[in-house]
Amino acid sequence: MGLNELYARWLDVATKAGFAISLCAFLVYAGGLLPAFVPLEELPRYWALPVHRFIEVTGAPQGWAWLGELAYGDGLNLAAIALLGLVTPACYARLVPALVAERDWPQAALAAGQLVVLLVAASGLAG
Amino acid sequence: MEVAAAPWWIWPIALFAVSFAIGIVAVLAGVGGGVLFVPIVGSLFPFHLDFVRGAGLMFALAGTLSAGPPLLRAGMASLRLVLPLALVGSIASFAGALVGFAVPTELLQTLLGVLIIGIALLIWRLRAADSANVEADALGELLRLEGEFHDPAAGVSIDWRTHRTLLGLAAFGAIGFVGGIFGLGAGFANVPALNLLMAAPLKVAVGSSGLLISVINSSAAWVYLHRGALLPLVVVPSILGVMLGSRIGARLLGATPAPVVRRLVIVVMLLAGGRALSRGLGIWV
Repeated sequence: MGLNELYARWLDVATKAGFAISLCAFLVYAGGLLPAFVPLEELPRYWALPVHRFIEVTGAPQGWAWLGELAYGDGLNLAAIALLGLVTPACYARLVPALVAERDWPQAALAAGQLVVLLVAASGLAG
Repeated sequence: MEVAAAPWWIWPIALFAVSFAIGIVAVLAGVGGGVLFVPIVGSLFPFHLDFVRGAGLMFALAGTLSAGPPLLRAGMASLRLVLPLALVGSIASFAGALVGFAVPTELLQTLLGVLIIGIALLIWRLRAADSANVEADALGELLRLEGEFHDPAAGVSIDWRTHRTLLGLAAFGAIGFVGGIFGLGAGFANVPALNLLMAAPLKVAVGSSGLLISVINSSAAWVYLHRGALLPLVVVPSILGVMLGSRIGARLLGATPAPVVRRLVIVVMLLAGGRALSRGLGIWV
């Protein structure tokens, strides 16, 4: 299997799963099956505010704090969004050993470097 | 109906519809969609630009992730071409996303408009590169930045390779930084850089641009998430719409003649840029 096909296969499965999870999470949120951290009816009062004011007024989570809000509909949706942010790192994690097996050292080093950048960004340590 | 008086549920439905339409056009134009989404939603919807930029980045990420598999399988996106450019672009985009939060909104809108119109005019003025007679440079050969792709619309197979690899890397550093500031995903300049500077065929440039955006935005998206700038009611309907639309766009790209793709890119960018500029200058808010 070529590199393009390998990456395409992983990407295909991950994005379809991401779509399904996002759709379910949003139906739970918009359908009111779980309470929202910021109630949907009140959201129009705040969504025109800059992000720092929005957080001040609503107490919405920053950093990894959304992990503690998974019992809320909006917290659950942030988790679904975060999963989409992990699709590319997952595909790269599969790509690096494939490039090493091909002994394509320059591209393997680039892919490994990219994986480190993605994981540092996801950690929030540099943001 | 007054915008402020509209019930909340109108907005996710409208976002889904707009995102679906932009998703189709964005893949054909190789622009990811943030460059269309941010000015359109920023001007027609009631959300603050901070949330629109965050959603724009996630929008472009979701659309390009979704379009990636069909583009890779059709040979219209090259993973080897994407790997070096994405690494430079994602580091720069991450830095740009941090800078973007410190710039006033009106200034961001104005600069965004000027930038998009400028790039649209650049694409209009310059002819597409001839990718048939390109000599690969040493770095391009080392990284094997080459491939073969069959263009069903033109009925030809193209054996391609790129050149000016170092200049290309520098360009993608600059593009990534600016894209991170505006939450655009950087697709607005990827196609001219890949096609005009590095001589990748137009459709390979368009397809690889999408894949590049999916990698670059994956790092910048975390900045917005950690800053609390992703509002689920804005982001999720947008990504659901674009994921469906971009799948359709990826299938249409192979059958669409390259000149039509080029004209589409120019028209869409002029419209989006004009709207952002008028809003930034307070002419039509």
